[in-house]
Formats: sequence, structure tokens, C-alpha cells
Amino acid sequence: MMEYFIGIDIGSSSIKTVLIDQNASIVNFSVVPTGYSFNKNSENALLQLLSERDLKISDIKSIVSTGYGRKLFKLAQKNISEITANAKGAYIISKLKIKLKTIINIGGQDSKIIIIDDSGKVQNFFMNDKCAAGTGRFLEMVSRNLEIDIENFGNIHFQHHGTPLSINNTCAVFAESEIISLLAEGHNKSGIISGVHHSIAKRISIMANRIGIEDSVLFDGGTALNKGMVAALEDELLKKIYVPEHPQITTALGAAIIAKENDESN
Amino acid sequence: MTKEVSDKLQELKIPELKSSLTSKLKNEVYKAISEIKTTFQDSPEGMKYFLNRYEDLIDDQNKDYKNKKIIATNCIYVPEELIYASGAIPVRICNGFYALDQAGANYLPAKACPLVRSTIGMIDNNYYPFGAEPLMVVNPSSCDQKKKMGEIQTKSNIPIYLLETPPVKDSDDAREYWLKSIIRFKSILEKTSRQKITKSKLKSAINKIYLAQNEFRRFNNLRKNAGIISGTEAITVINTYFFDDIESWTTHLNLLNNELEKKIQIKKQLNSTDKPRIILTGSPSIFPNIKIPLLIEKHGGIVVNDDFCSSTRFLYDTIAVDEWNMYDMIPAIAERYLKPSTCPNLSPNKDRGRKLIETIKEFNANGVVYQSLAGCHLFEIESLNIISLLRQSGIPVLYIEVDYSPENTGQIITRLEAFLESLT
Repeated sequence: MMEYFIGIDIGSSSIKTVLIDQNASIVNFSVVPTGYSFNKNSENALLQLLSERDLKISDIKSIVSTGYGRKLFKLAQKNISEITANAKGAYIISKLKIKLKTIINIGGQDSKIIIIDDSGKVQNFFMNDKCAAGTGRFLEMVSRNLEIDIENFGNIHFQHHGTPLSINNTCAVFAESEIISLLAEGHNKSGIISGVHHSIAKRISIMANRIGIEDSVLFDGGTALNKGMVAALEDELLKKIYVPEHPQITTALGAAIIAKENDESN
Repeated sequence: MTKEVSDKLQELKIPELKSSLTSKLKNEVYKAISEIKTTFQDSPEGMKYFLNRYEDLIDDQNKDYKNKKIIATNCIYVPEELIYASGAIPVRICNGFYALDQAGANYLPAKACPLVRSTIGMIDNNYYPFGAEPLMVVNPSSCDQKKKMGEIQTKSNIPIYLLETPPVKDSDDAREYWLKSIIRFKSILEKTSRQKITKSKLKSAINKIYLAQNEFRRFNNLRKNAGIISGTEAITVINTYFFDDIESWTTHLNLLNNELEKKIQIKKQLNSTDKPRIILTGSPSIFPNIKIPLLIEKHGGIVVNDDFCSSTRFLYDTIAVDEWNMYDMIPAIAERYLKPSTCPNLSPNKDRGRKLIETIKEFNANGVVYQSLAGCHLFEIESLNIISLLRQSGIPVLYIEVDYSPENTGQIITRLEAFLESLT
């Protein structure tokens, strides 16, 4: 009889759900928008995930929630901070490929840098939540301004050659007006997109310098799907960055692993 | 605000929103008190007196200080012995009220320190404890924001006296400058309260504070038994010293200490001791701004000590007098207020890190939470040195920037939880 565990990461822009079995292999996962009634949406996402694999909620041994909505999710037996969950998931997913030391996560409403020890335990972390300019929210805003889907940002980033345009404002709202001025000056969209990526990467690298990052570096969160963002970050940090295959779900995976580990220790 | 607290407020019939300043202050105090009562249900009996003092504080009918000589003070650098010896009562007015911080925002920049803003808010609104009408406000030059705040013309006519403090404590010049400043302060006090500070008056003032400090040290020592009293409650107890009658405060702390000692004897602990033990450092948490200690203790940690200028650092160091002569007592007072200071206004400030590490060892702490009030530049800047020192010593530390806004704690909770999870 197989045993199953679920980790659910209820973030500010999307809900990530991961279903694992007793061998910690991923059986199914999903990413859906958070929306207004995130509790209901989380429940639906979880049930959908199960029905795709012909499973019922009673087949699940344990559920751990994480992310901003973690406390209100009734189906979870336990909740854990997204920093602990992120460290766990990133460590597990990269264990066979790199010797992970630093995790950079750019989420919807914050960005964080987590330093872990050799066993994958959080040693130190730094979190920026005061300002949207270093987060995924900023990219969403630029996407609206330029009328370009975020999915295309990666490709457009590489169409720009030479020095990226500089966007200096540290506040997303004022950066928006800076972008509008750049458009008015006749700059093209690729220059602006590459400039925006570099501006976020610069903010991350200031945090990184404060905390003191070490190799190897893993980058996750939905923003890590954007190849332009990865390139800009490598540029600013002067480091090679590892991006897992599904960077959005590492935190949810971590929560699922924690569900499994808790179950084993009980 | 948690569900229990809002229920409690409902029960107490306290209006949530009322425009007047006093009702806002009342709300803040009641909120903090009911948070404490609902979170720490095993609270010692002796806590009641201290919580009641806050209810007295916001009782408009309480005019205990109405016709008394009151000197308002603004900082840990102000020698209270001299104030008592001049026949006046010191009342410390730096505070943790959000409503006063909002009121003070009329005078200071948006990015200024909330503690300084709330102080000017109190001065501007003439809102002093127990109907007090201070003869003057003693404002030290310890930090730039306090210093410049003292020059601002508010609605108040109470004179503000600048107590000059040196930016350094190690040089002979600095110590001499400070001694001269203390001597000048003594004569200002004599003029203001129209009473000469005599040898015997000063001696009895020193002893009065010494007795209070003695009880405080006993209390501090009892806190080594992690869990015997929560850090949030401990901070609340010590904060009442700001405005309480010193003798009454000492008596009631003595009773609380006796109670805690008995608890230890029968090994009754408030919290299980396997919780991560946290030391708080940085900008002070002054009641009702108990946000950070309360969140730490609600989410699985226990605050065993702090180095706040409003609590542990406020009362720990005592005066060492050799001979009870004026020429010995005055330098002894000057020395007590400068030499042990680890205020970040001092440069260099190596003692702060050294003392912090000693406290961590003494209280067997697992980690440090460094609190900076947003806009408190000295503590913000010094965080780099302190954090790197702690890391070199293998002590986990979490840096948190906070303001006085009572809500919006979700993101702070995420950090605190992650930090506490990493300690277990």
C-alpha cells in the first residue's frame, strides 16, 4: 500500500501543490492562481491534483501548508514557514546535482536569500518585503505597461545587445514612471525589459552582499522560469546559477517532504 | 488583533474607533493588556499590579501627579537620583504609543524614528501620566533626532532642557565634559524645583533607586529559569518604572519576585523550557509597543532577556559611592550613567557586543532577535557590526525592522517562525 503526502504553498500570486509518495518521488503537482478566496482555491487545487491520480483525500497520510495563506488552510495538519520549506525542497531537489549553499527566491510579493548548512538546515536568511521593486510583482507591472506577456520576457531580454538600460528607482511605483519616460525617449521594449531584469538583479545582489553568499547558488520561485532574469542575476552576482526544472514548486515540495518526515518521526 | 482579543474588547465594551487621542491611547493599552492576558494564561498573581498601573495611566480621573513637582525625562542618560534629590519625581516619557507617533508625525519627517515622534507627540498634546504638569522636559543630546526634536516649537510651553551627552565614553575629555554637564544639570534642577540638592537628600535618593535596582536585579536573575515569566510580561513590568511611584514599584516587584521564587522551588514553570530562548537587542520595545516580544512568544520562542535602554539596561547598573560627600557622589553618578552605557550613540561601542555575548551565555540563549525601529539610524547602522560579531561567535541572529503600526504583522511572523524553526 502506497503512502502519500501533500505540500501546499499558498503564495501571494499562486498556489503550488505537490503530491509525493513514501519514496519522496513527485506523483503530481499543480500551479494555480491564488485569487481572492484562496482557501477555497487551495482546497480545489488539492482535490483536482488527487482526482488526476484517482486518489481521495483519505489516501493522504499528512498535509503541510506553507506560504502566506498557510495558517488559514484547514485541511493541513501542520503549517511551516516558507523559508524552512523552501530550504528543504531546494536541498532535496538539487542534492544529486550541486552542493547547495545559497537559495535565491523571487516571489510575488517578496524576495529572499536563504543560506543553508551541509544538512540542508536554514543557517541564515534575508527577506525583502518592504518594497515591490525586487519582486515578481514588479515584472507583472512592467508586463502591463509594455503589453507583453511575462512568458515572453526571457526571449525579448536576449534581443537587446549592449549595456542594459538603467532603471535606478528603488520603488516600483516610481520605477514605473521611469519606464514610461524611457518609452517616451524612444527606447525599445527589449532594452527596457533587460533593464528591468538587471534592476531586480542589482537589488538581489545588494542583499546577497549583505548576507554573504556562497556557491552553489540555486534560483527558484516562478520568476526563475524567466531566462532573462536568470542571465541578469548571473551577471550581477558574477556566479553560475542553478535553476531546477520546476522552480515554482520547490517550496511546496519542501512542505510535502516535511509532512513525510514528521509522519516518520511520530 | 487576534480573534480572542477582539472578543475581549467586545466584552469590555471598548469602542474600536473613536477619534479623540485619549480613546486611541486607551484602546492601545487595553489591546496590549488583553493580548498579554490571553497569551499568558498562567501569569503570576504579582503581574496584576503592573498591568493595573497601565489602566491607571490611561484613567483620565487619576490626577495623582497633578500638583506634584514632575520632571519629564527622555532617555536612559538622565540621572534620576538628582531629580529625586531636588524634591521632584522623574517621569520618563519616551513611549510606545502608535497614536502619539502619528501625532508626532506633524513635526518630524516620515522616515524619522517612531520613538522620537511619539515623544514629541506626547509633549505636543500635553498628555502626561496622572495629570502631571512637568516643570521641564530633560532632553539629552544622545541621538540626533532627539536633540533636534527638542528645538521644535510645539503647542506646549513646558521648557525643554538639553542635557549634553558626549559621543564618546573612553576619553578623559569626554568624561570631563559629561561631569560638567551633570554639575550644570544639578544646578538647573535646583532652580527649577526650587530646592537645594543637599548631601543627605542625594544620599537618600541614591539609596531609593538602589533598592529598586536591587529588586530589579533579583527579577533579572530569576529570568534565568526560562519560562518562569514571559519576556513580554517582564518588559511590561520594567516599563512601569517609567512613571510609577518608585517605592510602590519596588514593593510590588519584591512581591512578584517572592512569588516567582516559590514557583521555582516547586518547579512550576510557565512554559516548557525546550522552547528556543531568545535575547532581544536593538531599539527598545516600550509598552504598549510589545509587538516583537509578543510575536516571538506567541510563535514558539521565549524571550529570556534584552539589552533595551527601556528595560534591562535601564536599571541594571548601580552607583558606586565611596564616601557620601557631594564631591564623591556627583562623579559617581556621572560615571554610572556613562561608563556602562552601550548606547549606539557612542563610538566606538565595543562594549555592546561584548555585553551581549555575556548575556547570551549567562541566560543560555539559543538566538538573538535584533530589532531596529524604522528610522532609528544608530541601531540600524550598528546592526552590521553586531550581527557579524554574533555570527563569528556562532550565534544565530534575526534582524527585524519594525514601526509602531499595530497590524500588518504577517511578514514579520513568517520571518520569526522561520528563525525559530531553524533553532529547533
